[in-house]
Amino acid sequence: MSALETLNKDELFTPEIRAEIDREIAKYPEGQKQSAVMAALRIVQDDNGGWLTQERMDEVAAYLDMPPIAVYEVATFYSMYEHKPVGRNKLCICTNVSCMINGSDKIVEHLNNKLGIKWGEVTEDGRFSLKEVECLGACGGAPMMQVGRKYYENLTPETLDSILDELE
Amino acid sequence: MSEEKTITIEVDGQTLEAKPGALLIDVTDAAGIDIPRFCYHNKLSVAASCRMCLVEVEKVPKPIPACATQVTDGMKVQTRSPVALAAQKGTMEFLLINHPLDCPICDQGGECELQDVAMGYGSDVSRFVEGKRVVPQTDVGPLIATDMTRCIHCTRCVRFGDEIAGMRELGATGRGEHMTIGTYIAHSVDSELSGNVIDLCPVGALTSKPFRYRARAWELTRRDGVAPHDSVGSNIQIHVRRNRVMRVHPRENEAVNEVWISDRDRFSYEGLYSDDRLTRPLIKKNGAWAEASWEDALEAAARGLRSVAAADADQIGTLVSPTATLEELYLAQKITRGLGSANIDHRLRQSDFRSEGPAFPWLGQSIAELEKVDAALLIGSNVRKDQPLLAHRLRKASLKGAEVHFVNPLGLDLHFDANQVVSDLAGMVHNLAGIAKAAGGSKVLAGRVSVSDEHKAIAKKLKSAGSATILLGNLAQSHPDYSILYGLASSIAESTGAALGILPAAANTIGAALAGAVPKYGAGARPAEKTGLNARTMLESPRKGYLLLGLEPGLDCANPALAKQALAGAECVVALTAYRSPSLEETADVMLPIGAFAETSGTFVNAEGAWQGFGGAVAPLGEARPGWKVLRVLGNLMDLKGFDYLSSEEVRDELQQACAGARPENDLDNTTDGEIQASAGKLMRIGEVPIYAADALVRRAAALQETKDARDAAVARANATVAGKAGVGDGDTVAVVQGGQRAKLVLRVDARVPDGCVWVAAGVPGSESLGDQFGEISLEKV
Amino acid sequence: MKVLTDYFRSLFLLELLKGLQLTGRYLFAKKFTIQYPEERAPLSPRFRGLHAQRRYENGEERCIACKLCEATCPALAITIEAEPREDGSRRTTRYEIDLFKCIFCGYCEESCPVDAIVESHVYEYCFENKGENIMTKEKLLANGDKHEAQIAKDLEAQAPYR
Repeated sequence: MSALETLNKDELFTPEIRAEIDREIAKYPEGQKQSAVMAALRIVQDDNGGWLTQERMDEVAAYLDMPPIAVYEVATFYSMYEHKPVGRNKLCICTNVSCMINGSDKIVEHLNNKLGIKWGEVTEDGRFSLKEVECLGACGGAPMMQVGRKYYENLTPETLDSILDELE
Repeated sequence: MSEEKTITIEVDGQTLEAKPGALLIDVTDAAGIDIPRFCYHNKLSVAASCRMCLVEVEKVPKPIPACATQVTDGMKVQTRSPVALAAQKGTMEFLLINHPLDCPICDQGGECELQDVAMGYGSDVSRFVEGKRVVPQTDVGPLIATDMTRCIHCTRCVRFGDEIAGMRELGATGRGEHMTIGTYIAHSVDSELSGNVIDLCPVGALTSKPFRYRARAWELTRRDGVAPHDSVGSNIQIHVRRNRVMRVHPRENEAVNEVWISDRDRFSYEGLYSDDRLTRPLIKKNGAWAEASWEDALEAAARGLRSVAAADADQIGTLVSPTATLEELYLAQKITRGLGSANIDHRLRQSDFRSEGPAFPWLGQSIAELEKVDAALLIGSNVRKDQPLLAHRLRKASLKGAEVHFVNPLGLDLHFDANQVVSDLAGMVHNLAGIAKAAGGSKVLAGRVSVSDEHKAIAKKLKSAGSATILLGNLAQSHPDYSILYGLASSIAESTGAALGILPAAANTIGAALAGAVPKYGAGARPAEKTGLNARTMLESPRKGYLLLGLEPGLDCANPALAKQALAGAECVVALTAYRSPSLEETADVMLPIGAFAETSGTFVNAEGAWQGFGGAVAPLGEARPGWKVLRVLGNLMDLKGFDYLSSEEVRDELQQACAGARPENDLDNTTDGEIQASAGKLMRIGEVPIYAADALVRRAAALQETKDARDAAVARANATVAGKAGVGDGDTVAVVQGGQRAKLVLRVDARVPDGCVWVAAGVPGSESLGDQFGEISLEKV
Repeated sequence: MKVLTDYFRSLFLLELLKGLQLTGRYLFAKKFTIQYPEERAPLSPRFRGLHAQRRYENGEERCIACKLCEATCPALAITIEAEPREDGSRRTTRYEIDLFKCIFCGYCEESCPVDAIVESHVYEYCFENKGENIMTKEKLLANGDKHEAQIAKDLEAQAPYR
């Protein structure tokens, strides 16, 4: 508690990130800073290589005048916030009904073999990590996966290989 | 609004009157209609997360939660209809899916809301055959034991932390099946009200750690009591088994403690069974302590005091602890005055007696009124730690928009918004004088102070507020310029129309004044025939005979070094004590064991002047006897008149008669304009009494002594400037020196301590040999 | 007439002969008497003799200090003190049954959620000194260790009816 009190708000993060969070805060009425917590966490996560550390969450809490535990609650509630290191490319593979029927199991198996990692793990070179997600609303193109902000649909082991080759 | 409109609703065919907008569950509770619930608590916000209170309402398609439904006119509610019962049964089955069947080893077993409601509303067989969820054990400190596997996610504890304790330490992380209640990062829950989550938790997820596995709810006898540590006088229930206090629970009293009690009141009972309890009378023979029979010890005590009194009655001095009961205090003063002396005082921690103070001081308002103030000025008070439940009332006021200002010699960690004016001891007087001058009126120091904008703002707020109060706290009462602070406070009160009050430090500070345990006033706060010496002068010009009631001279006095010196030089020191305290072993001649908290019947008068009587919950340990009985026999043995009481009630009734017509009054007719004693240029000690060092009982409560608050007290604190001057840094061991006496402590650099001050706690082990609580001190590198 | 029949009955000792007939039948019938202590009567699996405390196979005592037996005991014969053991588990520090108070009703056995307190087949015991009537935890556990095989067999036999 006292450690947080000593944090100076003007020294948290970089000026760019502060500006970005401030822009989010401005979207909400005066005195409703904490409404920007999700956006702030996303911004900080992107800056931190795709995952959140406890220190980073504490900083968000201090910046938004929230108790740290309230930030942890949000960060652990939503599955898009990561609490362990992820690869440069986070492969989010849907395993819900439509994708499963259309062979997502094979896609997953192919990735497991090719990259040598399982759910939640990162390849040794830090290039890929694997994450199982629920339906992303692209059942028309099942099986599918999301990498970054892009959807890849109608996956087969072959198309997957070429996609992976393109990803840095 | 002279008359509030009511509406009519019908519940289970019964017609009920209700206020519009009231919650359905409150209305049914008031009518005695039982609706099961877990997450709802009338002191907390509505979560409506447990779904146990589902009821059927006519024209509503689905069952709705009674805790989140406001009543409307003509509403027809069924709490036991097939639809409602099916909903409740279904909810119960879901709640039990993940709840372990470990009732036999669960401390909540027998007093568990889940057990009760499952019996009343659940099904007898579960259809759930899959595996249950398990949550890893967490440690949240020495007071609360957790078994989060049993948690049903009602979030009462989370809401309590947020809304009542003002420290959100617990939270619900994860979601759905993976949701857990905890601190997320392993750390302890440190609020001074944290123990209340034990009562709030409807299951056995949060239980008392010191009580863990020690008794069952059905084995305990519940006896009513009053908490002995602060001037709130929280109503408590003492749970007893086989003549031993097993735990303490709050008792509801909306006017005093609502439904809460502080951790100090809840866990201090452990101190009753510390190793150094005095269980047999002791007499010092040739410098060594020897056990004696009651007859011999009482005879020795009476003989000693009588022989001193026979030579010169004025050589008798009586020091009493303000934690003693009203009856004990009254008899102690009766003995003292009966012997012909008027030297009696309970104000052990006060050092400035230039003005005598009011005869019957008080809070200046009722405790409940405290939450309705619009502005408050607290002078020298760490109210959050000293009177946690008064701080809770102020917090409620603050959340409603009241402005709270502090004039303090140290910065506080508060759980509500407040403006803190922090300065050294002399600066405090100047700040207050500034406010008084800005408020227009005070002659005290008027010519010598400058008024800042802050002072003006505070004065303006106090004047404009509909209801304002000015409170003098524990730190002010021990301040070397208390009489000046008091005079200034009273002049501010006068010119702003604010209510002046004091925050009494101990459970019976007000009672001591009423009982006549002050040199100037007798029983009933009437002027005494003869004025005696006060607590400080009694030690500065040592007496030959002392009668001590319930105090530890090394830890309970403003200047322990002075106290021990005076007592050591006396011919006869008779101590009535529950503990074999080291400073008594050094200085006393006879130690008479008396019953501690819960072992004696008596009365406490709390801050608002309410007399709260209680009976003894258990018999005193060993050969100890209730203090009033010991004093009565002592009175008899010294051939004093009027010591023929048969019960403590008789003592109380006699005092009550003497008190007829006594009205609490804080206004003083004489205000002093003396010199400021606190030297501005020199390094001064801020000798705060930490929350868990307040009295002999709590000092011995093992679990409380392991809390963060207690651990934080065992250091010296200074800001970076002061530490830099002394050439020491954070974590260094330093020697603090007062009057040639040294104590070694670890130094913490703490920006909250103002310039020119070092925070060295009083009342904690290691402080016994030091001097004035608020006196000059020096800091040396070791 | 009645006088005449009564006269012949008493003259020929008919009642005596009837009685002797019964005696004679039992004289040659199978005997019930058991030569205790050389011979012993069979005991029901539900026999309620001297108390015992059981252990798990790994040697851990079963009793978890839930105090249900203490609560259910109609004679208030059981006294239990408990506190957390070093490993954090809930254990008794004192478990005593006063055999002078005990009425051998078996409620303790019935209420025990972990089958820790049981009543064994032991019924031959005596007290020579004051205080021996108190079954301490050590005595109970020792009794349990000694008769575990029999106790386990009895519990198994009763299992279908519990």
